[in-house]
Amino acid sequence: MREMIDIIVDSKTYKAQNGSLLIDLLIREKIKVPYFCYHESLGADGNCRMCMVEIEGQKRPQIACDTLIKPNMQVRSNSENICKVRTDILELELINHPVDCPTCDQAGECSLQDFYMDYGLHNTKITIQEKVKHAKHVDLGSNVMLDQERCVLCARCTRFTDKITHTHELGIIGRGDEAKVSTMPGRKLDNPYAMNVVDLCPVGALTSKDFRFHQRVWFLQTSNSVCHGCAKGCNIYIDHNKMKYQDDVIYRFRPRRNDAVNGFFICDEGRLSYKDLQENRQESILLYEEETQENKALQELKNLIENYKEKITLIVDANLFTDEIEALVAFAKSISATLYSPLEIYKDENFKDDMLKSANRAANYKTIENLNINTTLPTKNALVINFNHPLDFEADVQINFTTHKRGKNRLTFPIAAFSENAGHLTNEDSIMQECQKAVFKNNPAPTIVEWLQKVRS
Amino acid sequence: MRECKIVSKKFEIENAHTLAVAKKHGAYASLEKLKEYSPLEIINIIQESKLRGKGGGGASAAEKWALMPQTGDKPSFLVVNCDESEPGTFKDRQIISKDPHLLLEGILLTCYAIKAKHAYIYIRGEYFQFQKILQAAIDEAYAEGLLTECDITIHRGAGAYICGEKSALLESMEGKRGHPRLKPKQKEPEWFFNNPALVNNVETIASVPFIVQNGAEVYKAFGTKQSPGTLLFAMSGHVERPGVYEAEFGTSMMEYINHFGGGIKNGKKLKAVIPGGVSCGVLTAKECENLTLDYEALRHIGSSLGTGGMIIMDEDTDMIEALKNILEFYHEESCGQCTPCREGTGWSDKLVAKILDKRGTKEDIDKLLEIADTMDGKTICVFAPSVSIVIVSFISKFRDEFEAALCVK
Amino acid sequence: MNFIFTEENLIKIEALKLRYPSPQALCLPCLWMAQHQEGYISINAIDAISETLGIAPMEVYRVATFYTMFHLEPQEKLNVQVCKTLSCKLCGSDAILEHLKNKEVNIIHTECLGSCGTAPVMQINDTFYENLTPEKVDAILKELL
Repeated sequence: MREMIDIIVDSKTYKAQNGSLLIDLLIREKIKVPYFCYHESLGADGNCRMCMVEIEGQKRPQIACDTLIKPNMQVRSNSENICKVRTDILELELINHPVDCPTCDQAGECSLQDFYMDYGLHNTKITIQEKVKHAKHVDLGSNVMLDQERCVLCARCTRFTDKITHTHELGIIGRGDEAKVSTMPGRKLDNPYAMNVVDLCPVGALTSKDFRFHQRVWFLQTSNSVCHGCAKGCNIYIDHNKMKYQDDVIYRFRPRRNDAVNGFFICDEGRLSYKDLQENRQESILLYEEETQENKALQELKNLIENYKEKITLIVDANLFTDEIEALVAFAKSISATLYSPLEIYKDENFKDDMLKSANRAANYKTIENLNINTTLPTKNALVINFNHPLDFEADVQINFTTHKRGKNRLTFPIAAFSENAGHLTNEDSIMQECQKAVFKNNPAPTIVEWLQKVRS
Repeated sequence: MRECKIVSKKFEIENAHTLAVAKKHGAYASLEKLKEYSPLEIINIIQESKLRGKGGGGASAAEKWALMPQTGDKPSFLVVNCDESEPGTFKDRQIISKDPHLLLEGILLTCYAIKAKHAYIYIRGEYFQFQKILQAAIDEAYAEGLLTECDITIHRGAGAYICGEKSALLESMEGKRGHPRLKPKQKEPEWFFNNPALVNNVETIASVPFIVQNGAEVYKAFGTKQSPGTLLFAMSGHVERPGVYEAEFGTSMMEYINHFGGGIKNGKKLKAVIPGGVSCGVLTAKECENLTLDYEALRHIGSSLGTGGMIIMDEDTDMIEALKNILEFYHEESCGQCTPCREGTGWSDKLVAKILDKRGTKEDIDKLLEIADTMDGKTICVFAPSVSIVIVSFISKFRDEFEAALCVK
Repeated sequence: MNFIFTEENLIKIEALKLRYPSPQALCLPCLWMAQHQEGYISINAIDAISETLGIAPMEVYRVATFYTMFHLEPQEKLNVQVCKTLSCKLCGSDAILEHLKNKEVNIIHTECLGSCGTAPVMQINDTFYENLTPEKVDAILKELL
């Protein structure tokens, strides 16, 4: 650990690590500094030249992403001079930019737009009309669309495929103002993390084919959650919106930074798993495949529990929240049922990689283990009550509490998906994490905990 | 004018590029001195000679040499910069084609001093016919057993001005795009695949044998106190006898032009001189009158000596056209890494094209100067600042010509 | 169609590998060899180089697009590179370019060739032609075409 020292930024003193990057301090302390190319996951590249600051004793402005903090350093981040420098460089950045914000999907979360507002160039002096022409609407593959004209050549995307995925699909080709991001001719961006380049791109050059034109970002509401795609527990944002007279809809998952878990990224499969939360959902209560009233179904359930006493098996999905699993443990005890959570089914060695993807495709299997729940397959079942476990079991009678539509059973109760509920998960590295309730449906399905209360009453 | 042939001594000798002829005229004689001197002593001699880098920057050669580790696990490398791409500069090609063994001799001395076992010569791709002569010389040197202590490999560039910048050159040698690297935070060697490397210009290395053989004092007897020795100055453009002629630092520019170059072509009057490759600020004829050719004098009048390759322009030269020509060059050659350079070179080129086309306005001239300001000192390498100097010098010194060409005055 | 380095080039490559700390340094040399072999650098050649050097095809491709002397398309006509930078311009490169316009060649306006003292100048293949006049150009092309 390097020693902590004092440095002054805009006449305020901050503690910082000697020899650490100045831009990291500025970002951490929320001191306004514009930048395109720097990214904490990719390091400094120094190409955009936007993060200029003045450093006492230095003749010229310096880029904060390539300045190491030293004792007694005095930094000015917002002097008139430095703002002018930023304005001037931004003006150059815009010469060949199409300025097509109204039709650009990035609008609202675009660094170029933000900096334009901060270092306002309201009277452009660009007197030359002809801009350098490049390709627009290039389908790079993996749901990523490229508009070369909007690109600021920050090289974040190319550095991502070079340094993070090591797949090297993207590169800057050509040079000077003809330089552009590209794949090899005829080849695609093709790796399981490809869509992260959309988040990395500070402007509208790389957009998601899955998300673009579906929703303006300023309409979206954001909730913190955790991906349920595997036991890694990657932190995500759930971006959703409930439009007037319509239901609350998820438009995308985005990675949420957590250095202890996923860093800055998520895999594409996890990113796109939001779709599954909105498709093929079980919405009504079914008795012998017929829609039925809640009290009628509950009465049937209570009768069955009574009739099958001592012969009841509860099956628990290892993706449920800890809060739900604990409630089910208590419930099982109260009705003298045996509890199972067969884990073998979640194993998927083909999914696993050395970045974020885990072979354990159950977000909360760790809690199942921690609570010593039987993880083998149950034998000899009389009455099975399955709480969203993906397997179906042979039994005299099977009852399902399920998020999604599934096969024929005596009784089926719809339950809320994780995005419609709040709770906790423990990932494979034993880190406990929280998910916020993101989606508020017009006709929400009860959560498991709510159902259990109804059964008990 | 005093004759001083240190690097160009064998230029006039027929077949001096062959080992036999070169040896007959003293090639490799300085290697004898290695029996006498330790590596550090060689560096000291270079230090005393005040030899300055001859690729354009004019930095102290010995200071760079001294940064190379004398001990350590990593191999050290010498990289000779023969990318010679600065418009107006064509001196290094004289050395590699007329006296390649002088360069090889210098390489052997330098490698001895910095304890390098391998030297690379990065040569611009266009110089292939000279590369062949140089390669033949290397082959001869290998056959003669001269390269037992040190290997020499030619590395061919492929058309990128920026690769003359030492860190871009190393990137290029590492098989990458020629993007200049971020500057180190302290004084350190250059790095070639994370191994320490020294990058020196051809002429700098070719000056070493003379200094080692004759001693620092003999070298310092030429030139000025701060700019000792000689340079392969060159002339091109509107001059009767363009070419490369070695002269000592401190020589009068006009005397040089008249003596070696035979004066301005067709008896015309001089209008302007770009003193050392297009990246140096342009000088008016008046500024050239009492000017001497050394780093200090050129800096004193706000330009620079650069590579010493002078571009001479006569009274009929259209300065807008000249600036347009230079900006086109920069526009074409910017590596495109830093925003101010990538966009600034293109924009300024287009603006001057507009003025040349008689469509310019006064605002365009102001904008040009603003862009020049934005390009100055805000990029990774000195490419953009050079463009800035060029724009400012042309407009400030020939403003009336630019204003006369405007459509709205 | 696959690209395969000639036996001679493969020997050269193996010898060169010994002269550098990392095979990636052979990127430019290999691109040159591929271009000399086929007259241009095909995508197949890029793949072959990438395999030979153990780097990704994009790491070769982006390099090939950076340097103006590499051709990524087959060259149908004779490439005549005429220097148009300042010294050549001052010494009449415009007239040479004008003169070449009607010839059956591919004219490339190139930046400074480092032949300012013998301007105007052009380069065809790897050879410089200096102190050009329209008559000299005719003689040179007559020889080459």
